[in-house]
Amino acid sequence: MTLRGSLAIWRRDMLVLRRNILSEMVAVVAYPLTIYLAFGIGMKGYIGLVEGVPYGLFIAPGLITMTAVNAAYSESVWSLWFHRRVQFTIDSYRVTPISVSEIVIGKILSGFSHGLVKGLVVALVIFAITPFRFPLDNLLAYLLFLIPGSAFFSCAGVISGTIMDKPETIGKVEAVLIMPLIFMSGLFFPLSSYPVELVPWIRALPTTALFEGARQALVSGSFPLVFALQVAGTALFTFVAAVWIFRLKMSE
Amino acid sequence: MPSAIQTRLLSKQYDSLAALSEFDLDVEQGSIFGLLGPNGAGKTTLIRILTTLMRQSSGEALVEGLDTRSQGREIRRLIGVVPQENSLDRYLTARENLELHARLHGMESKRYRRRIDELLELMGLEGRQKDFPDTYSGGMQRRLVVTRALLHEPKVLFLDEPTTGLDPQSRRAVWDYVRSIAGNMTIFLTTHYLEEAEQLCDRIAIMDHGRLIALGSTQELKGRLAGGMAYEIEFGGDAERYAAVLGEMACVREVAVTGQTLCVGLEHWECLSEVIGALNGAEVRRISLRERTLEEVFISLTGKGVRE
Repeated sequence: MTLRGSLAIWRRDMLVLRRNILSEMVAVVAYPLTIYLAFGIGMKGYIGLVEGVPYGLFIAPGLITMTAVNAAYSESVWSLWFHRRVQFTIDSYRVTPISVSEIVIGKILSGFSHGLVKGLVVALVIFAITPFRFPLDNLLAYLLFLIPGSAFFSCAGVISGTIMDKPETIGKVEAVLIMPLIFMSGLFFPLSSYPVELVPWIRALPTTALFEGARQALVSGSFPLVFALQVAGTALFTFVAAVWIFRLKMSE
Repeated sequence: MPSAIQTRLLSKQYDSLAALSEFDLDVEQGSIFGLLGPNGAGKTTLIRILTTLMRQSSGEALVEGLDTRSQGREIRRLIGVVPQENSLDRYLTARENLELHARLHGMESKRYRRRIDELLELMGLEGRQKDFPDTYSGGMQRRLVVTRALLHEPKVLFLDEPTTGLDPQSRRAVWDYVRSIAGNMTIFLTTHYLEEAEQLCDRIAIMDHGRLIALGSTQELKGRLAGGMAYEIEFGGDAERYAAVLGEMACVREVAVTGQTLCVGLEHWECLSEVIGALNGAEVRRISLRERTLEEVFISLTGKGVRE
């Protein structure tokens, strides 16, 4: 299998992103920035230090990661649904000599790219307006979480966009599955806040591995290998599942 | 002439519903072939199988000699598809839509740029190539979809209801274009407009309930109804009485009464003199020959009931 079709589709998606970059960025930055202002600044006087760092700094890596993975998920799910159910462009791709796998890989690449670009923009804004800083040496370890994390969410978005035919279902899944998975994984509070008996279950979540691992990598420069393997393994599993589910749906 | 499209015992089953049932078809290379059928007859299922968007349950479908089950990619290199829905990308300009399609076909950029220029000029869209499809009229959008389907110079062009929703001028513009490219490629057309099939197609198939029920040229299909000819006879009065008289004649196939006018279908044209003789003394105001329409053939074969 060549990736010619995937690259053509990815190139199309990046052209559209580039064309709408300003409006996209305003929307992307507004949400995490509001959360940062509300929690990081509004609540810091009440919360003080968390695991030895000021609360505003504690949540900053999580907000950057959340923006990236949310963007990856949203782009994949809405793009796939829209192209499949509204614009019927998926059918127009399918009558060209590319495979179904090339289409789904192109969409996963696009979601992933959206995640990285938007995460980077939010990171720049947070650096510009907050005292949050980190040693540049920590960046590589952080990216080893962010890249498979964005890929995982992009694949999850492709699965949702493939199996859900109604837009309201997509919204419900975001509300009852995606956002709770993100918020429960220690984005705004340390895992030690959970009752002891719940902690092993929470640590088993791939989102916990992603957010906890990314925070530790960026803030302290450590590299929690188990978390990294957990995120990479989940990304690989959802990739295989996304390709398989999309192929199955297209053969119906 | 070798076949561009061939199906043998082609069937598609959705649970208990047979969308296609042992469907046999041969479409000659270079011809314009029309497929007619009421809603739910199986036209879209057939076209989706031939364009490799769907797999058959059983039977064989070949496009340019290639099997749809095992040689899908090779088939898709050779076909152009104009679907029912426009399926244009509204976030790309007209030209970008065409460039994306060319890249998906693996065309070299030098080649596709030149080809896009040629086709946009031919279709009268070159002045609007930087505009988004949403700003186009329905006719222009349809022309753009046809342009996209022709970009990679396909051997077989599938047109699935290509003029649905178009005004008469745009419809005729599409017909003119289809005629102009006929001969260079095989054109497989589905339509609800019987006039469209009559105007464009060399051969027409009528299908219903997933089965092929008639196949032939327009004239051959019309010939299936009462020798293809009917006469309209307008009386000054007593039309009912003469309807009864004509109805008893052996060479009269059918008589329909509308006011003081009879529509008389004959077994053969020689029978006309017998009819004239039977009308001796009647107050006949007009006798005219009325050719059967394709619509009458269609309704007689598929029934008058409205399909869901």
